[in-house]
Amino acid sequence: MKHLFYVYRFIGTSLFWFFFGVIGLIYGFLLLPLVYLVIRRPERRQVIARDMIRGAFVMFVWVARTMRLIRCDITGMEHWDPQRSQLLLANHLTLIDVVILLSLFPQVDCVVKAAVTRNPVLRVSAGTANYISNRAPDELLDFCVGRLDSGSSLLLFPQGTRAIRGEPLAFKLGAAEIALRANATIVPIALDCNPQMLAKRVPWYRIPPSQPHFRISLLPPVAADSLVPEGTDSRRARHELNAALEGLIGAELARREAENRSPLQS
Amino acid sequence: MDKDELYGQLKGILIDQFELEESSITPDANLYDELELDSIDAVDLLVQLKNITGKKISPDDFKDVRTINDVINALTAL
Repeated sequence: MKHLFYVYRFIGTSLFWFFFGVIGLIYGFLLLPLVYLVIRRPERRQVIARDMIRGAFVMFVWVARTMRLIRCDITGMEHWDPQRSQLLLANHLTLIDVVILLSLFPQVDCVVKAAVTRNPVLRVSAGTANYISNRAPDELLDFCVGRLDSGSSLLLFPQGTRAIRGEPLAFKLGAAEIALRANATIVPIALDCNPQMLAKRVPWYRIPPSQPHFRISLLPPVAADSLVPEGTDSRRARHELNAALEGLIGAELARREAENRSPLQS
Repeated sequence: MDKDELYGQLKGILIDQFELEESSITPDANLYDELELDSIDAVDLLVQLKNITGKKISPDDFKDVRTINDVINALTAL
């Protein structure tokens, strides 16, 4: 039975990626360029493009869950406030976490790899949605702070790249620095995917031994400067904030892991 | 701008903006280990250097930079 489910998941996953690719092509070559051409005002264009991208991501998550390719539990959504500017900081395990997170937060800003914005098709897509391109590090900091200051919410993965499940979190300083410069309200997000799928250097067709279970917890919002003692100089402050954030998300992941092992847990 | 001038300017920035002790700044001082600059400082320093040299500097030019001398050499090589 377990073997049969594995075979089903392999076929299902293949079909899913085919579907993902087809929708991606339709968006990249047709729908988003159309929005780019038809809608004149960039602000309006951005809103529509982001709604459309989120719509596709909501659909992908729904399909993957309905096909039982993944399980997905999300807690703490009450901490997301669409009326306010929040900095959403999540740990990063798989390419799918981006899809799930972007499906949850309407109109959220995010940073797109410079490699993506160098690809002509993806550039139009990312440009129409006005996502931030990760080109030069100094501009990136200013851009992210600017977006937060202007009232947008921003999703960042402070690890900067996909990490290996179970290893201690090592956040880059950029996210903490952005949080401090913008005096942002941070919503830490602890994200687990067990077993890990689509990790770095793992091809899509090597599917995990059992159905990946996503558990995403939004933690209560915290003001960036409340995690740093008053009067700390700016260099110390970003290191302190960074350690505090690693601690918050790390503790939540550890708590979940302990819960997993407990025989009392169903 | 010659190397000595650059060195003087760089020293000034490190003392004024990064609050380093003048005595700690030597040509062979390692920016990260000895002067304890972090990745954000490195980005800020790059911005300052762009301003004083008026040149476009890409982070790739500074990938292998470790010491103050490396900074000067990287800048003059541009």
